[in-house]
Amino acid sequence: MVHGETTGPVVQVRRRVRASAEEIFELWTKPDLMARWMSPFPGAVDCKASCDFRPGGTFSLVMSSGQSSREVSGTYVQIDRPHKLVFTWTGPLTNHANTLVTLELNPRGDETDLVLTHERLPTPAILEGHTRGWGHILDHLADAASKDL
Amino acid sequence: MIEIEARKKAASRTARLDAVFAALADPTRRAIIERLSRSEARVTEIAEPFDMSLNAVSKHIRVLEASGVIERHRQGRDHILSINTRSLDEVDGWILRMRGYWEERLDAMERLLGELKKDRLGPKDRKHGSR
Repeated sequence: MVHGETTGPVVQVRRRVRASAEEIFELWTKPDLMARWMSPFPGAVDCKASCDFRPGGTFSLVMSSGQSSREVSGTYVQIDRPHKLVFTWTGPLTNHANTLVTLELNPRGDETDLVLTHERLPTPAILEGHTRGWGHILDHLADAASKDL
Repeated sequence: MIEIEARKKAASRTARLDAVFAALADPTRRAIIERLSRSEARVTEIAEPFDMSLNAVSKHIRVLEASGVIERHRQGRDHILSINTRSLDEVDGWILRMRGYWEERLDAMERLLGELKKDRLGPKDRKHGSR
């Protein structure tokens, strides 16, 4: 798992989904739909999602079930509807470490190949020694944000 | 108190994992780990296949040591390097946990896609919808 060519260790999940890229993209980006599948709690769950859907905009997802509740949040880095969505992601599951999620959707007839890549981002302390990777992302974020203005 | 201790522990685990991930983010360092996964080795042995100065390779080795991915011990005058597999197990653990999380979430996403499709088709056409 540690022998990639150009990147460090990442989590990657691929699957073929019986739906169009547009249908899948909706599920990832509309708060009322996000709330219906993103919560990891089984059974009755109160899930509130909100998002400011533009590059540089933030989203948050508050999920509660009984007494426990957790929140994940992040910032949209790249939005290429309906093919690609890149966002940062942090919460209890990532031990509040900054991570980056990339969703890629490639149409295959009636179906869609979904590739999800989840990677950890360096912390500011680590950045001082390794500015390249994160710097690239920040540049991208800045580009995207300025384009939007 | 217990909660604070638990939080401290989680924070130090996060910091450690961050350091390991940062160490693994470089192809030269991953190649060094791959070399050491075959057997422990001297610094000069590790540097041999690389087209860079011993000094440059030593720098990468120091980053790997600082992150806890590799360890150094002395054998006479030689410095022998070996992998600390426990640190890599933590990385594998994180990857497995996250993979499990996403597999479950994508299952839920597909279930919802199915439900939405059924709703759209309505009860009349449900036969065609359920492939």
